[in-house]
Amino acid sequence: MAFDIDKYTANSEPVTWTDLDLESFETNPLPESSLRVLRYMCDVEYHTVCYLRDLLTTPSHKEPEVGSFMTMWNREEFWHGEALAAVLGKHGITVDFDQLKASRLKLGWKDRLDPIKQSLLGGLVGHDFVAVHMAWGAANEWSANAAYLRMARQENHPVLAELLKRIAAQETKHVAFYASQARDRLEKSKKAQVIARFALSKFWAPVGSTISPDSEVTHVMGHLFAGAEGRKLIRSIDSHIAKLPGMQGLTIVESALDKRGISGEGEGTPDALPLEETVAVETQTA
Amino acid sequence: MTFDVREFARTARGSHRGELDLESLTAADVDADAARLIRTMRDLERHTMERMRNVLVTATHKDARVTAFLTTWAFEKFWIADALDAVLEATGHDLTSPAGARRRSRVERVERRGPIARAIAGNIAGPELVAAHVTTGLIDEWVTTAAYRRLGEIAPAVRAVADLIIELKERHILFLAEDAQRRLADSARARKLSLKEVKRSAWPLGAIDRSAEDRSSFEAVVFGGKDGAARAAEIADRIAALPGLGAAAPIVAARLVP
Repeated sequence: MAFDIDKYTANSEPVTWTDLDLESFETNPLPESSLRVLRYMCDVEYHTVCYLRDLLTTPSHKEPEVGSFMTMWNREEFWHGEALAAVLGKHGITVDFDQLKASRLKLGWKDRLDPIKQSLLGGLVGHDFVAVHMAWGAANEWSANAAYLRMARQENHPVLAELLKRIAAQETKHVAFYASQARDRLEKSKKAQVIARFALSKFWAPVGSTISPDSEVTHVMGHLFAGAEGRKLIRSIDSHIAKLPGMQGLTIVESALDKRGISGEGEGTPDALPLEETVAVETQTA
Repeated sequence: MTFDVREFARTARGSHRGELDLESLTAADVDADAARLIRTMRDLERHTMERMRNVLVTATHKDARVTAFLTTWAFEKFWIADALDAVLEATGHDLTSPAGARRRSRVERVERRGPIARAIAGNIAGPELVAAHVTTGLIDEWVTTAAYRRLGEIAPAVRAVADLIIELKERHILFLAEDAQRRLADSARARKLSLKEVKRSAWPLGAIDRSAEDRSSFEAVVFGGKDGAARAAEIADRIAALPGLGAAAPIVAARLVP
């Protein structure tokens, strides 16, 4: 399915929340455990610009469509960070630019070497690297979308649920872009399929795991996806990934959870609000 | 006063096609020189992802205030490029810049270095390199603003478009000027790194990826003749007023004029 980049860029807007009653968090605050999840999500969204950096060192950005998408995507994700920061702010948790800077400084040498590694890899693989980047992005956006929708259902908080649904709706468009790009490019190149499969199965880890402490990653994954219901969702993400050309049978998200010892049995954090959506199907809604 | 990055992000301006009155434009309103300048400017404005890359592979990406600015700056530049496309479409001019050989000069070799070399150099230079990025960004905005003023002169019919772009750039300049001034005033190392970077940059930033012909035409149209030299001198004066950059001012002026 073709992604209409002109339509997407023309309709790209910051997520809105000024019409939502954020004051409600003062009378009906979120529990500590959920705030940790939101904080993690907020960091990941603000951190998009650093992912963008890594992607820009590969041949991907030279394609005009990809460059246009990245410009809008990076900005939309920045606004997701702002929206989540507004909710955290209502709980007395301040996320400001200085503090983000401090956490980026903590990343140290690994972070400094990343762009070099990515360029070398991009240089070695050449044009097919774009397909790898797109497949990787699709996996990330599918999991982000699922995470937001799952949290919207778990928290008994209509204002939060509405905000998370709005964010997830934008992530659905990102999914559409990455997945349609990945599909087209993987179909055209056997080599790209082999490299993407290798990269995803060997190196993929939940979004945010390179920037957050292990304990936080495990907490967030457990909170969102532990239990039978969570496992069902995770398998649904994996099944979307596995439908990409050459990715049959991959179960990278489920494996990532197993590796962290997150059980697929029991109740986990149950849903409080009924919502129909589960994981974004790849449709063009822009 | 401190520039409010969040306010800038909140009030960023997207597509201009609705507010621009392009219907009345005809091919005669934009001659070949003006069309070429528009295409060159469009290509430069669309160069943001390369600019972002060069900046982000260094310690600059750690500064969340700067990256928040760049996120919105790239968005506004995307739509500036789109507005220039709209002018070319309305006047029936070719949208694609003609392919041509690049200018190959020894001085500019360092500008052509890829992300690996930049990342390594950036790691060695350390966090003060942010100053060099905002300072070169600032000078670039001065240079391109001069180009849009000139565009309004050579093609009065598109002056409204040029003025709109200049207005958008005013906020970019406000942020970059304030940030550059502060960083340069605060640190001798920032001044040293910035001086080096400004001295060796090709203008406008991204010019090295344009054809030699487009660049010569840009220099002739914007900075040629007596008036052009005066425009270059004005930019040099502003550079000279920045802390520690006096020595770079004449070098930039000399590189701007044809």
